[in-house]
Amino acid sequence: MAEGLGNRLRDLRSERGLTQAALAEMAGVSRKTINTVENGVFVPSALLALKLARVLSCPVEAIFWLENGA
Amino acid sequence: MTESDFEIAERLSRRRARLMPVLAILFLSGQAIYAVGPDDPSRAVDQLKVAAWLLWASALLFLLAAGGGAFRGKRVRALMDDEATRAHRGRAYAVGFWLAVGSAVCIYALTAFDRVMPREAIHIIVTAAIAGALLTFGFLERRAQRDG
Repeated sequence: MAEGLGNRLRDLRSERGLTQAALAEMAGVSRKTINTVENGVFVPSALLALKLARVLSCPVEAIFWLENGA
Repeated sequence: MTESDFEIAERLSRRRARLMPVLAILFLSGQAIYAVGPDDPSRAVDQLKVAAWLLWASALLFLLAAGGGAFRGKRVRALMDDEATRAHRGRAYAVGFWLAVGSAVCIYALTAFDRVMPREAIHIIVTAAIAGALLTFGFLERRAQRDG
């Protein structure tokens, strides 16, 4: 079974009152990268996942998890 | 009010995403002038046509390969060439590769029935690869920029 990466980046971002652009600027990436990660279109690198976790002040496992066969 | 690096990168990225498919379509439609009329390498007009195509193809390849924001700061360039952009470029290269191989195989098969000059073959292969890669990159970038 193929594995995918689930995420609740959109929820966590909204909880903190951040826009995609604000989160992108804080993580040092473009807004489209945040958009594609939130939509599950793009699987971020470990580096970006860790940066997002740091910006959102939560463990990386709270943002991302393996789906299907994890 | 001055734009931040982030806003500049966003604006330039959007412009690049809009520009790429337009350039690809212009490049493809511009190939019509190579399909009509005599092709004699000794004629100055044909040499000019070949030089123009070479220049055009090289410029498009550079546009695709370069991250953009050449005259902007390091941070703008980094934002315009972040990991999603690099992934899109990688997929665009892959599409270009398969189009090049596919068109080369078609031309190879065609030589069983008709004579194909090497320059014509290279022209078709390179045109297909560049146009396909540009269209793919533009499509992926535009899709990524759509509000989610």
